[in-house]
Amino acid sequence: MATTTVEAVPVTMANLKGRVDPDWCPGCGDFGVLAAYQKALVELRIQPHQVVTISGIGCSSNLPGFIHTYGMHTLHGRSLAVATGVKLANHHLHVVVTGGDGDGFGIGGNHFVHTMRRNVDLLYIVMDNQIYGLTTGQTSPTSRVGMKTKSMPFGNIEEPVNPMALALAAGATFVARGISSEQKHLTELLKQGLMHKGFAFVDVFSPCVTYNHDNTYQWFRPRVKKLEDDPGYDPSNWYAAMEKAQMWGEEIPIGRFFQRTGLPSLHGNEPILADDVPLAHRDPRIAPDLARQFVEELM
Amino acid sequence: MKQLIKGNEAIVKSAILAGCRAFYGYPITPASEIAEAAALYLPRAGGVFLQAESEVAAINMLYGAAAAGVRALTASSGPGISLMQEGISYLAGAELPCVIADIMRGGPGLGNIAPEQGDYNQVVKGGGHGNYRTLVLAPDSVQEMADLTRLAFDLADEYRNPVVVLADGYTGQMMEPVEFPAAAMLPRRPAWAVDGTAATRRNLITSIYLEPDQLEAHVRKLETKYRRAEQQAVRFESHRTEDAEIVLVGYGIVARILKAVVEQARAQGLAVGLLRPITLYPFPAAELRRLSRQALAFLVVEMSTGQMVEDVRLALEGRRPVEFYGRCGGNVPSAEEILRWVRERADHYWPAFAPEEMADA
Repeated sequence: MATTTVEAVPVTMANLKGRVDPDWCPGCGDFGVLAAYQKALVELRIQPHQVVTISGIGCSSNLPGFIHTYGMHTLHGRSLAVATGVKLANHHLHVVVTGGDGDGFGIGGNHFVHTMRRNVDLLYIVMDNQIYGLTTGQTSPTSRVGMKTKSMPFGNIEEPVNPMALALAAGATFVARGISSEQKHLTELLKQGLMHKGFAFVDVFSPCVTYNHDNTYQWFRPRVKKLEDDPGYDPSNWYAAMEKAQMWGEEIPIGRFFQRTGLPSLHGNEPILADDVPLAHRDPRIAPDLARQFVEELM
Repeated sequence: MKQLIKGNEAIVKSAILAGCRAFYGYPITPASEIAEAAALYLPRAGGVFLQAESEVAAINMLYGAAAAGVRALTASSGPGISLMQEGISYLAGAELPCVIADIMRGGPGLGNIAPEQGDYNQVVKGGGHGNYRTLVLAPDSVQEMADLTRLAFDLADEYRNPVVVLADGYTGQMMEPVEFPAAAMLPRRPAWAVDGTAATRRNLITSIYLEPDQLEAHVRKLETKYRRAEQQAVRFESHRTEDAEIVLVGYGIVARILKAVVEQARAQGLAVGLLRPITLYPFPAAELRRLSRQALAFLVVEMSTGQMVEDVRLALEGRRPVEFYGRCGGNVPSAEEILRWVRERADHYWPAFAPEEMADA
């Protein structure tokens, strides 16, 4: 494998800009998430070539096109599965997965659970707008009971999923929640997530100004309370985090709910990666003796 | 009384009239209106609607509904149908009836959301595993979206097999006047269903046959049904084929353009006709062979790079030349461009073949 010397460029907001401009509706929360993600990379001085941004399908899943990193736009709900493959293929890359609540908690729900269980070392940013936006306004797994949408014209009769409790229960080692309108706070959470060794989940309230008239910026603003403002809150306490995860309504906690360090990630547990050489950088050839052995061996 | 509605909506209304009482689906453009209409109308008819977490979940929910003896519908487009293939194979294997509407969009991969006919292979040839077929109906109008949906439920019950209504984004999205049957039809609860009664407690719905001889016998039984469908369920529309020396073949929205081409070609003195397969499986192979006795050539047009054309070639077994013209990516061929191509091919064939010479060939 040839080695290429990559000249480090200063990481700035300008050179993290993607080749196309976002096609999100004016006022969409996703703009704030993109900006905070770019700021986090700038502040951590992570080079564009050291990051791969992977998404599924949805308005928010168009994000990899709007940022200058490696990017993959994959199957609906399957981005975490693809990301797992990427991380195992080249664990030196920062893997960042972006998507929406439908992509992540609906169609991708089982991948979500299993990727957390495996503690795949990646940052998963969900732009949670409680609605299907790209398909023009159907119920999502985080839509509240009673919410009227095109697919629930008489009001949603299903309890929404609780992403924070689900992540904690499934074994995520970093669990946080932000809101796109709190840029400094969100950037800090994404930086922590990027530096975390293991599965980092950041659920971001990212209001859909076109199809969700329930969960608006105005609705969230008086309700969100930062955990960071409580000096007594201990993010290493899983039970305390689970308790916070149950809060909804008049007070909705945001911030770092939980972080567990020291647990090996999937690639850290993978014996063949013990020498720390990424799979993609290895010589793919095998010795002729070994090859013959494979051919001759019968099960 | 005729009602002006979208093709996608016509499917739902017709399904409810045909006794469908369950819809499971997942939003996808350009099929989402089917789910939305089902959400709106089914509860009023005493039916259930559930937005599944994925097409994988949806098709498996259909399996459950069908096993319980309920007429069930789902709808999607290419990528969602791909996801359902595993479930469709299971439904066919377990001999469960259901109706699946595929409102085709551009592919492969993400492709786009413009109309295409690129799902022919995955739907007609069966994208799932194992020896099974799905019966496939191809509407060319909103009226047929309604009529063929109703027929699809009947065929599904008759053959105990999934039936696909294969339409494209245009037929799904366009509005036309539709006449619905005055009376709703209420299907009988099938005797084989598992409907939670003492009478049906011994009924078994399965597709597992571990013994090779058992599985072979089961597959032969399915095969017999498909042979029966090939004898009895074929549908097509012939348009001015009686004296046609060139037969155009196209289905769905393409066939409507081809009808205009036939008229224009006739006005220019060319003996051109149209064969429109309405059932894509079973395919009107016998009719194609019959037409080959008089026609010099068959010209196939699709909104794909050529999928149904393979079935035309298989049907004709080399009796006559088969040529293909296709557009894809969401592009729809115009009558003018097809006519130009037909004229060009006609110039090629007429000097070389005279109908008299070919008659006994």
